[in-house]
Amino acid sequence: MWYFTWILGVLLACSFGIINGLWFEQMENNKNNDDNS
Amino acid sequence: MDHLVDLSRFQFAMTAMYHFLFVPLTLGLAWILAIMESLYVMTNKQVYKDMTKFWGKLFGINFALGVTTGLTMEFQFGTNWAYYSHYVGDIFGAPLAIEGMMAFFLESTFVGLFFFGWDRLTRVQHLATTWLVALGTSLSALWILIANGWMQNPVGSAFNYQTMRMEMTSFTDILFNPVAQVKFVHTVSSGYVAGAMFVLAISSYYLLKGRDLGFAKRSFAIAAAFGLAGIGSTIILGDESGYEVGDVQKVKLAAIESEWQTHPAPASFTLIGVPNQTKERTDYAIKIPYALGIIATRSFDQKVTGLQDLMKSHEKRIRNGMIAYRELQKIRDGDKSARTMAAFNKVKKDLGYGLLLKPYAPNVVDATEAQIQQAVKHSIPHVAPIFYSFRIMVACGVIILLIFLFAFYQSARQRIGKNKLFLRIVLYSLPLPWIAIETGWFVAEYGRQPWAIAEILPTSMGVSTISSAHVISSIIAIASFYTILLIIEMFLMFRFARLGPSSLKTGKYHFEKLESKQGE
Amino acid sequence: MFDYETFKVLWWLIISILLIGFVITEGFDMGVGTLLPFMGKTDDERRILINTIAPHWEGNQVWFVLAAGAIFAAWPSVYATAFSGFYIAMMITLMALFFRPVGFDYRSKIQDKRWRSGWDWGIFIGSTVPPIIFGVAFGNLLQGVPYVLDNFLRSTYVGTFFGLLNPFALLVGVFSLSLFVLQGTTWLQMKTENELRARARLISLICAPLTLVLFALAGLWVYWGINGYVITALPDLNGPSNPLLKTAVVQHGAWFLNYEKYPLTQIAPVAGLVLPVGVWIASKFNRSGFAFIASSLTQVAVLLTFAFSTFPFIMASSINPNMSFTVWDSVSSDLTLKVMTVATIIFLPLILIYTSWGYFKMHGRIGKDFMAKNKHSAY
Ligand code: HDD
Ligand code: HEM
Ligand code: HEM
Repeated sequence: MWYFTWILGVLLACSFGIINGLWFEQMENNKNNDDNS
Repeated sequence: MDHLVDLSRFQFAMTAMYHFLFVPLTLGLAWILAIMESLYVMTNKQVYKDMTKFWGKLFGINFALGVTTGLTMEFQFGTNWAYYSHYVGDIFGAPLAIEGMMAFFLESTFVGLFFFGWDRLTRVQHLATTWLVALGTSLSALWILIANGWMQNPVGSAFNYQTMRMEMTSFTDILFNPVAQVKFVHTVSSGYVAGAMFVLAISSYYLLKGRDLGFAKRSFAIAAAFGLAGIGSTIILGDESGYEVGDVQKVKLAAIESEWQTHPAPASFTLIGVPNQTKERTDYAIKIPYALGIIATRSFDQKVTGLQDLMKSHEKRIRNGMIAYRELQKIRDGDKSARTMAAFNKVKKDLGYGLLLKPYAPNVVDATEAQIQQAVKHSIPHVAPIFYSFRIMVACGVIILLIFLFAFYQSARQRIGKNKLFLRIVLYSLPLPWIAIETGWFVAEYGRQPWAIAEILPTSMGVSTISSAHVISSIIAIASFYTILLIIEMFLMFRFARLGPSSLKTGKYHFEKLESKQGE
Repeated sequence: MFDYETFKVLWWLIISILLIGFVITEGFDMGVGTLLPFMGKTDDERRILINTIAPHWEGNQVWFVLAAGAIFAAWPSVYATAFSGFYIAMMITLMALFFRPVGFDYRSKIQDKRWRSGWDWGIFIGSTVPPIIFGVAFGNLLQGVPYVLDNFLRSTYVGTFFGLLNPFALLVGVFSLSLFVLQGTTWLQMKTENELRARARLISLICAPLTLVLFALAGLWVYWGINGYVITALPDLNGPSNPLLKTAVVQHGAWFLNYEKYPLTQIAPVAGLVLPVGVWIASKFNRSGFAFIASSLTQVAVLLTFAFSTFPFIMASSINPNMSFTVWDSVSSDLTLKVMTVATIIFLPLILIYTSWGYFKMHGRIGKDFMAKNKHSAY
């Protein structure tokens, strides 16, 4: 069932994008904290 | 008549391929906008709202042309392929109509709210709007590809002599057509890749110029992750497409591989070579043993049939098709005796092959031996264009995969923008997904020739009864329109992509800061 | 469930509904597009006019796309014959339509006088040509279209492009344009303020009687000058869909037979004559909401008048009436109609719900303040 795979896949791909964005923010925060200390 | 067919084919190919310059970006960018806005709602950082709005602006410029060119497609089956529309409309029309109800309304209604609803909707409502736009675009691809998948592998339907057309026998068969399924996932994923590459390349440009770094890096990170998922799924499903093609469209597979003779299993894969249509062989071939057998049949012991053997089987079916045509005429003339019906039903499935004779022998039943041989010769497409197009698509796929792997690696290592050479490579790779996509469609559509509906309706039968002069004038008119529109679109795209987020006039980005500094 | 015959009538109804959705919604945005270069004297005014329809025109256009798709799916032979027969007219419509998406979207992207006025005229063409051509097409459907079918049901159009432009068809074309403009002005009465609103009202007051007169004129012309078609023998209403199985003839006054047979249908033409008066009164008393509703209902009445007059004919062949396409014998198979009915039952209500939600969220008048506030995001 490739249609079903697509539903999961597109949600996965979007989550992947969102998580990478959140991770980016996290690392950015860490970097700034390091700079400050 | 012959000219008419070629002209109509040219017009269809031109407008479809043009439509498909804009479609992939819509498909991919819509989800990327949804990702960006989700991040805005989750982190509450203004930069993500700006990202959604800026990439949304570019999305809008592209979307307008997607709609414009889509209208042509919707008209064209009736204007230029009238007999096709009559003959298979019973099946083909349904997904098109459902596409309108389920997808076009969704995307078009919500795209209006996306652009103009920022102040009118709550944040969550607006976010939902963006997700619905993305869903709508992919659903529209779903239905049109079900229609297109049915043309490649016409399941769930049968010829009805009473109405002289194909009629639907099972909607679920059409819906769950294996060809439609792999085609859908492969094609939408390729659109996702195009969207991701677009964002990645333009972000790289800002990074190269050292402008709006925070904005560009975030866009880069999102595109890298989404694109990696997209290209992965494109390639896996591409492989699956190859498998499906091997199953139901043996001619297309053999053409992709330029496989003239049937070789003992497992077949080897021709990496590159020069297909020679007249001599029916592939010159200068470099082969990888076993590979094709494994890709096409997923086994070591099944054969991949070569074009020469396929043509032999076509010859047999063309002769059967002549009988089918003769019996059908008897039935049309009122002879509905059980014997005639039985005779017709026996060879009914080869009726389409009989129609292949039409261009050479308009009455079909009185075709001479030479005419039959001519039809057999033209029962396969030209091999070389398909052979090369396929290799271009796959090569693009491999390069794109490497780019996204490296981009994601950089994003994971917090090194976005550190490698200038890579940024430049990404920027110049922007056209790759489009090249892969257009060549991919070419393989799929040209590889289906001489059929409009595989083994059922030859392309030459599908055209409208209109004059060539009409088609020539519409080609000229559409081509001029499209050229002008493309120039305008590119002009706007470049202008706004160069300007970057400064075009939002929020006062926070590069050029505006520059202006206010100069003003001081 | 129901038999084939019922589904055949049901799809005649559904396509009428889709066309009604089209004339109501695209009616007002094309009406606005037609008026754009004349009503908007300054760039600001033009932007206000465009922004009254900006969030909606895209969705509205889908009524049109869907009507075409539904005709393809439910009446494939009609789609094939009409679109290829009217080839040049279709191509002109198509190219006019090209201007709209790009016009709306690109116009405000660049601040340059020539650029903007160029797109304004583009939007004008894209909004004016299609209503006229639709009118002309309907005018020709009333008279019958010169085409023939061969044994394989391949259709050949034997008329010319200029044959389509006969006086009666042109009258219907002008009538159709005035309907669209009326719809546009009542929309603008509702969505704009001050001066623009006053101008819209003025045009409504002129357009309403004009529409009425043209409608009456077309009706009288059909009564005296246009012959209708009737089926003389049809083997089986539930039978296979093949237009060559029946016989039909041209007959004077045939387009009025349904009104005698089903007197209730007379509501449609009567409403078509009464409602424009309602538009006029509502505009006169500045009740813009009522004016818009009355104008929308006028569209419904006119379309139904056409549908009731011609039923069961969809497209009659003036060369050989036996080859005409009718609701009984030019439809898709039973199964296809069933599948599509299920899809319609699911999706049409959904469409109506979220479309209404969109209009609700975007309600309110648009004026100078709005434009000042949304200078960079509005069209
Ligand atoms: C639903 C049906 C459908 C869909 C989704 C597409 N096509 Fe197609 N295509 C056809 C239905 C079709 C057709 C009507 O069947 C044509 C016209 C003549 C022919 O042989 O097939 C065709 C021809 C055709 C040709 C010319 C082949 C030839 O002349 O030999 C090309 C290159 C394409 N198409 C490319 C595309 C692209 C880029 C598409 C992406 C939008 C596309 N097609 C979608
Ligand atoms: C060959 C048959 C095709 C027809 C008849 C067709 C028809 C249309 C039409 C009428 C529109 C405009 C809809 C509107 O008004 O909003 C449109 C847009 C669109 N089509 Fe196609 N199309 C075809 C091929 C495809 C394919 C193969 C795909 C996807 C894989 C596709 C995906 C889309 C998308 C995503 C849009 C949204 C607008 C945009 O692209 O920017 N279409 N199409
Ligand atoms: C690298 C591995 C790839 C393989 C093995 C592959 C395989 C295939 C095959 C066999 C087809 C023909 C399907 C048919 O005729 O029904 C096809 C079509 C297509 N390919 Fe690919 N492909 C690959 C990469 C890509 C990439 C990278 C893109 C675009 C970004 C792409 C876009 C398309 C499109 C748009 C079509 C036409 C739609 C379809 O028939 O599915 N492909 N591909």
